[in-house]
Amino acid sequence: MTEASGTGPFLALSGLIRHFGATKALDGADLVIEAGSVHALVGENGAGKSTLIKTLSGLYQPGGGSIRLDGADIAIDGPKAAEALGFRFIHQELNLVPHFDAVGNAWIGRRHPRRGPFLDHRAMRRRVAEIAARIAPDLPLDRPAIRLTPGQRQMAEIVRALIEPARLVVMDEPTSSLSEGEAERLHKVVRRLAEEGTAVLFISHRLDEVLELCGSYTVLRNGRTVGAGPIAGIDRAGLVALMSGGASDHAAVDPMRDRSAPPAGRSERPGALFSADLAFGPANARFTLEARPGEIIGLYGLVGSGRSSLLKILWGASVARGTITIAGRKLVGGPADRIRKGIAYVPEDRRREGFAATLSIEDNLALAHLADFRAVAAVPISSRGKIRQFAAGVGARLRLVAARLDRSPMTLSGGNQQKLVFGRWLGRTIRVLLVDEPTRGVDVGAKAEIHAEMRRIAAESASVIMATSDIEELLALSDRVLVLQTGRLIAELGGTTLTRSAVVAAAFGHAPSPSGPAVPRPSEEFIA
Amino acid sequence: MILLRRYGTLLALALIIVIFAIASPHAFGTVANLVNITQQMALLAIVAIGATLVMVLGEFDLSVSSVVSWAGIASVALFGTGLGLPAVIALVLVSSLLMGSISGFLVARFSVPSFIATLAFGTVIGGFTFWVSNGATLFSGIPPAFRDLGRGMILGIPVPTLWLAGVAVIFWLLLDQTEFGRRLYAIGGNREAARLVGLPVRRDMVVAFALCAGLSGLAGLLLTARLGSAHPTGGGGYLLQAYAAVFLGMTAFREGEPSIPGTLVGAAIIAVISNGLTILGVPSFLQDVMTGAIILAAVLIRHFGRDGD
Repeated sequence: MTEASGTGPFLALSGLIRHFGATKALDGADLVIEAGSVHALVGENGAGKSTLIKTLSGLYQPGGGSIRLDGADIAIDGPKAAEALGFRFIHQELNLVPHFDAVGNAWIGRRHPRRGPFLDHRAMRRRVAEIAARIAPDLPLDRPAIRLTPGQRQMAEIVRALIEPARLVVMDEPTSSLSEGEAERLHKVVRRLAEEGTAVLFISHRLDEVLELCGSYTVLRNGRTVGAGPIAGIDRAGLVALMSGGASDHAAVDPMRDRSAPPAGRSERPGALFSADLAFGPANARFTLEARPGEIIGLYGLVGSGRSSLLKILWGASVARGTITIAGRKLVGGPADRIRKGIAYVPEDRRREGFAATLSIEDNLALAHLADFRAVAAVPISSRGKIRQFAAGVGARLRLVAARLDRSPMTLSGGNQQKLVFGRWLGRTIRVLLVDEPTRGVDVGAKAEIHAEMRRIAAESASVIMATSDIEELLALSDRVLVLQTGRLIAELGGTTLTRSAVVAAAFGHAPSPSGPAVPRPSEEFIA
Repeated sequence: MILLRRYGTLLALALIIVIFAIASPHAFGTVANLVNITQQMALLAIVAIGATLVMVLGEFDLSVSSVVSWAGIASVALFGTGLGLPAVIALVLVSSLLMGSISGFLVARFSVPSFIATLAFGTVIGGFTFWVSNGATLFSGIPPAFRDLGRGMILGIPVPTLWLAGVAVIFWLLLDQTEFGRRLYAIGGNREAARLVGLPVRRDMVVAFALCAGLSGLAGLLLTARLGSAHPTGGGGYLLQAYAAVFLGMTAFREGEPSIPGTLVGAAIIAVISNGLTILGVPSFLQDVMTGAIILAAVLIRHFGRDGD
């Protein structure tokens, strides 16, 4: 980790080219990383970031260009080779064995310490504990990965990456599933890695995070490097301009909306459209919610606060203890019934919960309300033409970038997959929209489009209930914010009380809550 | 090369037919024999179509051969009680559908792995069948009208072939052209996503398992009609061959998903090989070796073909 200093960059990729058929995923990409630096790689979805990383990890062979490590040309002909060079990858979809604990996971694919033919569990644990002590002292080492929080899983991945000496750790959207507090902890770990001389290549759509954490940056657009340099020399607007191709009409995050003006439709129809009165969370605490037409309610809280479970209950996909009503009528039954009543739901994890990869994009769009696409109303046979027409309309409206709509959603980039999951509800009257992480891992352009669509849905007198861990998104869209802590509603913020610091303070339990003083939480605590 | 990858399995079927036709032009390569092959593959293909439905869900039904045997024994036993033809057929089919519903319910409601659930339940059905038949082959009291359902020709086409054609068309329409079919593919592709968009996941799974068993029951009836007798393990051979047909079929078209046309191709390959080797006088154990080898080869070709995608 020390030998690289002095003589030029530690790692330099230049002019990388990689084509897939007619698609130029990389078309002359450059990337220079100094030892011990935190380097940001940013770009819209489809800009070539993933391909670049896969080239670094040896999964793809470049069709042109060079990779120089410590000034010498190298070829990375496979993941084993990348590993041997000291490159570690922490992917967006974490790759832990669910039933193994952090120790077991750390050694997968590595030469385990052994005693004779048997695993030396004590030595395995000792080595992992050494690294964890340095990086993430509060990571429970004996808990199966399935029972760790997303933040803890991230830490387990990092510990795993460092079991053998690492020179470069590549993190792909590591904070996209983390709450604010967990993300901050991760930032600390990243800084510590850099101090120890390990370079970190940090990929994130959260530009504030990039500006705060990273020392230098590279911007990719259409497979090409369009800008690079020290972070000190650029600001948010500059990054956005580079990512989106100069024109900054593609605002990264929508400007804070003027909360003094009531949203359309709200003043005329003040009654609640959608309401819930539930016993919720581990403590069975009472949770009540009243959503008025035209308003966007933000749900915020640390991971484990219950935002997603709450939405699933409202959606009828999990059992509700209590009552949920729409326009005064009690809701019974599951999602199918909700759909008939004009409620729509966008799940948190698009790949796991959002679509079937075996169906085409257009069939996935049609799936939630197949009966709308019948050629003859009484016969349950879909009209291909009607489905095509609907898919084309949604595609145009959300600017869905797809080579063909009759292909699998796996051919889409992450942002476009999100548009698909979102778009299936368009073209019907939405009275209530439940949306969990509307723009996770989505590029700035798609983010702006999805935000505009949500505002438009609300403006048409729908209630929108949105859970998000992106605080800027929360502040930009919400009329009111409900802050949850382990299933307990601990603060409702709106109007002038809705500020960034108030939200963060409430989520971390420092807010004066109406039901007495909140218990300050130990900073190292993760909620399981 | 692309053609080979896309349509390799279809080309393989054509190639096998051509090879047998050259090796044995006067016995294999005749119209009469080719028509005969469609009759030989009919029952296997009907069972395999049922298995396809369940495979689309990403599940297995290992009780198909037990249900085939059950249907045969049950029909003869019921004729013995003096019931008429329509009543017997209705009772047998309903009992088969019910058996499939139970398997499907176990899988869909309690998340029992289908492999285990249908293996266990198939064993129960098998034992029950033995009990009803006392372990013996049953053949008395079968009315000739029932036998005509599984033999003879109409307009020069063997009756089993007609059954297969009817079943194939109906289930191709069901799987490819109806909302039910789309839902099955969606559930198989991502059950959680299907549930969250409000699809009736459990109900559809139960229906798919029920239809699978219903088709096995139909095959059992036709088998008994053709043979004029029923044996408590009469359906034993269908399990592996049916799934072999589905797997071969999954390699037949580009999507790599189970489909009715694919399954028909798969069943045809198995039937053609068996028929051709028999005509050439190859001993039956060697036929098994070759059938297995060809299935492995098809799957491997598909696998290596994929690398280039």
